[in-house]
Amino acid sequence: MVPVRYNIRSLLVRKVTTFATAIGIALVVFVFAAAQMLGEGVNRALANSGRTDTVIVLRKGSDAELSSTLDGERLNMLRSNSAVASSAPGGGVIGESVLVITAELADGSGGISNVLLRGMPADGMKFRPEARIVSGRAPSPGTNEVIVGKSISGRFEGIAPGKTFEVRRNRPLLVVGEFETGGTSYQSEVWGDLDTIRASVGRESVVSSARVRLTSASAFEGYRAAMEADKRLNLKVMREDDYFKKASEQTSGFLAGMGMVIAILFSIAAMIGAAITMNGAVANRTREIGTLRALGFSRLAILTSFMLEAIFLSLIGAAIGLLFVQLLALVSFPTMNFQTFSEIVIRFAATPAIMISSTIFAVAMGLLGGLAPAIRAARISPVEAMRG
Amino acid sequence: MATESSNGASIVTLKDVTKTFYRGKEPIHVLAGLDLDVPSGSFEALMGPSGSGKSTLLNLIAGLDRPTSGEVTVAGANLSRMSDGQLAKWRSQTIGFVFQSFNLIPVLTAAQNVELPLLLTDLGGADRKSRVATALRVVGLEDRMDHYPRQLSGGQEQRVAIARAIVNDPKIIVADEPTGDLDRKSADDVLTLMDKLNKELGKTIFMVTHDPAAAEKASVQRKLDKGALQ
Repeated sequence: MVPVRYNIRSLLVRKVTTFATAIGIALVVFVFAAAQMLGEGVNRALANSGRTDTVIVLRKGSDAELSSTLDGERLNMLRSNSAVASSAPGGGVIGESVLVITAELADGSGGISNVLLRGMPADGMKFRPEARIVSGRAPSPGTNEVIVGKSISGRFEGIAPGKTFEVRRNRPLLVVGEFETGGTSYQSEVWGDLDTIRASVGRESVVSSARVRLTSASAFEGYRAAMEADKRLNLKVMREDDYFKKASEQTSGFLAGMGMVIAILFSIAAMIGAAITMNGAVANRTREIGTLRALGFSRLAILTSFMLEAIFLSLIGAAIGLLFVQLLALVSFPTMNFQTFSEIVIRFAATPAIMISSTIFAVAMGLLGGLAPAIRAARISPVEAMRG
Repeated sequence: MATESSNGASIVTLKDVTKTFYRGKEPIHVLAGLDLDVPSGSFEALMGPSGSGKSTLLNLIAGLDRPTSGEVTVAGANLSRMSDGQLAKWRSQTIGFVFQSFNLIPVLTAAQNVELPLLLTDLGGADRKSRVATALRVVGLEDRMDHYPRQLSGGQEQRVAIARAIVNDPKIIVADEPTGDLDRKSADDVLTLMDKLNKELGKTIFMVTHDPAAAEKASVQRKLDKGALQ
């Protein structure tokens, strides 16, 4: 086999072309990894939002809280089951109202986006032990006070501690604090008093959804069967984590798919770049290759050698791309939750699997781009060594 | 380095060899019915004008190319019937190459260049290192082992190339204009070295040259003109 140092040094000698090609590959790896990191970020924000011992109850036929309504009678029915952890806050069942409002971005761009408002009873925060106030205080029950999730605090006009915004004319809501929920999608919501929120949209007697804390995660199937069996209730019962997972699939699939399309388009350019570089390398080294063939190195050895060189080139590109993509972990990114049509803020999340798949993608690009030049190299006749 | 003696038996035999190239559809007959016997242990120089077929003949003897017709037998092997892969393996075991432009790999050191043919053998790292050191000592460049070709003079580069040609102890060394790119002093050094390889180590050398001084070093001088030996 042709010694590997031959390829490594050949790449180092042609620093400028090697670097330029590696940067092209790095760019593709960056986009490829970033798309997956975004998808992973969405998964983390949405898929991890639910608990396994909590169910979310919607009206049958609704896929999301936004399009569901439940009345007080149904809420009472939900409580009347032994699987409900009645000692939990709210007696194990809380009904919540959600609505989406349009708000102006605070960055002065004049842009608008959707914000999800959640009205909850007095025990709503206690029902979610992962939620905690990070600045200011909790809203007082029965008032127009709200708290804003840390991820979107300050992103919109009026939706920041100490400021007010309107859902209904002349009924301002006052932001009294910020909360966080460990990075889940709840952290991109505004929480307020149930009655205040539903009164503002004129739906005083109903809630959007109910959350039910069960005695254990294993009690789910029995509870669901009991609640869904009664056709008069017309309910849909899901595990809370499954509900969010379903929501995340649409959003992360969209983002990762979009990123993948861009990465694939870029990769064609990068492969052409790699092919040009490797073709140049072969053309400049015709006599060297001829000499190696004359000395007895087989066509396969030459082919392998140049494929290896293409792989090294792509690995340099992958290393640069992956190095820079780490910086994205510092960036948060607003995107649409396609289930609620409101904005959620997610972070790019790097995982070892993403790093590995991006590296494999880079190597695949190198192999595809390097194949034709390597075949060309392997076809060089040993007689070329004799040409002066 | 094994010593071989000239026993008069042919190491190279060409019988009725022709070689035809095509320029478009027009055939160019470079060699026409050529016969040649090179005795083992001899030092032969092949001269002739440009286009006479010298390089073509050398390529056939070295197993770099196959004849259009006829038989080429070198060191007991009939090259006319070998595949590309078989020829490559055969070259690595039988032939040492010395090129006009030295053909060292610029990104490898002198020692790494000399080691290249040994990478095709089963020798371990220590054995290869020892053989490389011996070959470089034979050409008087053991102190230039770690130099890259660009750090060597033309004469030194050619001596490294000769070390590479002898490191796998080939049966025959083929040299294509070995002094063509050298000044007179360096050319003489290289020729003296080749003479030493022939006389002291008994290597068969077949050299193509334009240089009459080089040809004089050889024990046999042949002339090729229009594809036929004179």
